[in-house]
Amino acid sequence: MRSEFDALVRTPTGRRAFLKYMAMVGGMGVLAACRKNVIAEGEGGPAPTEARPPLEEEPGVLHVYEWAGYEAKWIWRDYARKGYPEPKFAFFTNTEQAIAKTTGGYRWDISHPETEYIQDYVNLGLIQPWDTSLISNWPDLNPALEAFGQLDGKQYEIVTDWGYSGVIIRTDHVDPSINSYSYLFDDALEGKISWFDTPWILIQAGLVLGVESDVFDMSPDDLDACKRYCIEKKKNLHSIWVDFTQMWDDVRQGNVWAAYAWQDAWMVLREEVPVAYIKPKEGVLSWAEGLVLHAESENYHHAHEYADAWASPQVGTRLTSLWGYGHSNLDIDLSVLDPEVIEVFGLDDPIGSLSEPASLIGRHLPNRDAYNRAWDEVKAA
Amino acid sequence: MDALEPGAVIVVESRRPRRDLSTLGLISSPLGYLVVFFVVPVVLVGAYSVGALTLLPQDHFLSLRPWTDLLSSDVYLGLFWKSVRMSLIVSVASLVMAYPVAYFLALVVGRRKYTLLLVTIAPFLTSYLLRVLAWRVILGEQGLITSFLRTVGLVGPDEGVRWLFYSQFAVYLVLSYVWVPFVALPIFVTLENMDRTLLEASSDLGAGRWRTFWTITFPLSIPGVIAAFIFVFIPTIGEYVTPLLVGGPDGFMFGNAIQSAFTQGFDWQFGSAMSMFLIGAVTILIVIFGRYLNVRTVTE
Repeated sequence: MRSEFDALVRTPTGRRAFLKYMAMVGGMGVLAACRKNVIAEGEGGPAPTEARPPLEEEPGVLHVYEWAGYEAKWIWRDYARKGYPEPKFAFFTNTEQAIAKTTGGYRWDISHPETEYIQDYVNLGLIQPWDTSLISNWPDLNPALEAFGQLDGKQYEIVTDWGYSGVIIRTDHVDPSINSYSYLFDDALEGKISWFDTPWILIQAGLVLGVESDVFDMSPDDLDACKRYCIEKKKNLHSIWVDFTQMWDDVRQGNVWAAYAWQDAWMVLREEVPVAYIKPKEGVLSWAEGLVLHAESENYHHAHEYADAWASPQVGTRLTSLWGYGHSNLDIDLSVLDPEVIEVFGLDDPIGSLSEPASLIGRHLPNRDAYNRAWDEVKAA
Repeated sequence: MDALEPGAVIVVESRRPRRDLSTLGLISSPLGYLVVFFVVPVVLVGAYSVGALTLLPQDHFLSLRPWTDLLSSDVYLGLFWKSVRMSLIVSVASLVMAYPVAYFLALVVGRRKYTLLLVTIAPFLTSYLLRVLAWRVILGEQGLITSFLRTVGLVGPDEGVRWLFYSQFAVYLVLSYVWVPFVALPIFVTLENMDRTLLEASSDLGAGRWRTFWTITFPLSIPGVIAAFIFVFIPTIGEYVTPLLVGGPDGFMFGNAIQSAFTQGFDWQFGSAMSMFLIGAVTILIVIFGRYLNVRTVTE
């Protein structure tokens, strides 16, 4: 005996009706997405100043969309001491993911992207400028860094922390005097090199090759040359890491002798194995991050208080002590820091350390798709 | 039977089954779920891939450029075939490992077969990531195998076996291991439902165990084998987590390229084109396999 479902979909009327309903639902879905697209393009944006309620009338509980680890209370202790409600934290693993989720409607008050992504946030109408007059620590922040948080004369990001994307090497196997990104492409280290899964490897190849065009906006020929160079040197790789703790383990166990790494790798491993952190002579690729304010945040004043807490010199001191990352506040007490840390990361001259040609802070990539596809080709080779 | 009287009126009842609201009500929820969480997202992704929908400022409106970029790219089409090859190898390896398990449970074990079946599928109750990461302990440079080889002197103290981990071999091995319990189930069901009198008849007629297996058992289990093959082949084509964790520099697959387009770049249109291409390719493969698989034979 045929099932009733058979009867429903096998009769001409049933099948036609079924397909008709599926098409209707699919069409409604497309229309719904179109409407959402219109909203993203033309609507939203910050409320006018006069429309913002005072702090006492704001909802009060900040939603902070952060990197894991930055929810630590010592970062927002000053904020908590003022009696504000404890923020709620959510986490992302990379900024592209954060932007994608935010564009899809995920709401937060404050997020913490790198400066090169501010343009994307602004293009999508996702963030609003800060009012720096509401941040008491603002005058003490590094103006050279804060300039990276500006667009069209507006401060879209309070730049709080910075770091290097350099190289960590095992000094018992590798000569630190070479002092170059060429460690990551050295045939003599075959099987002992680890790259991070990022198109910035192409940029580092560009620095080694000495390409003529701007490494953050390479010409097609230069980008192609970097791609082919990376493909040629891929045979030397032990791994392409996505989990930095696994890279730490590989360096610790001697499986990897040279790896793309941030400062925290050196801070952790220096106590265990002979390692050196290299800021290459070609100029160390650097990153700066900071706090951005959602365009539709209802906690405008609370957000400024939170940013002010983040910008304090006490937070900077502890950030550097723990992870080796730099902080934007120029009033950090260096006397409480490890002198070796100060020397290795150039913390005694943060402006000079972050200026070209010693340092190349990441910028918005105008032809980002080309970089990503070139990187895909390297990984696929 | 009595003969009909002249002039009798014959009433023939309609054989059309009565459709009432209870039938529609029962199927509306799962259908609705399927439509909302499968059909609509696929339609949206398809719309993104041709620019009917745009999200980011750099997206091309109503453009086939993502498709032309994909179909003209040796790199991405090469990745697709690399993923197909991986899926074929993993599917065959899973079948080879799972068939003896299913045979043992269905035809050898007596009263405790369902307990042992539960033990077989127990790994599914743990985290997928944990099961994959656990292989680092076995295959890694400081793992069990390399440590043993160093101990017995087959490998030098500072040497390792490069192809064991962060390699294609590691991807094949780990994926096969992950899918074995899932593959064993449909084969077990098929063998469990097999008419045992056929095996008795074969034995009575003088056939040995191997001949019985190859001429009776295995042919009758083929629908389950093909179903198991499909159950593994389709999801592993788009696999990206395991290649990412254990594949090393050569572990980049088509699924990784899709993930990269959406999460590392803002190339959603190109990622959508790749996704629709994968759906289309898998659909074609299902149709091809479907012609060789009698679904009723598996389900009845």
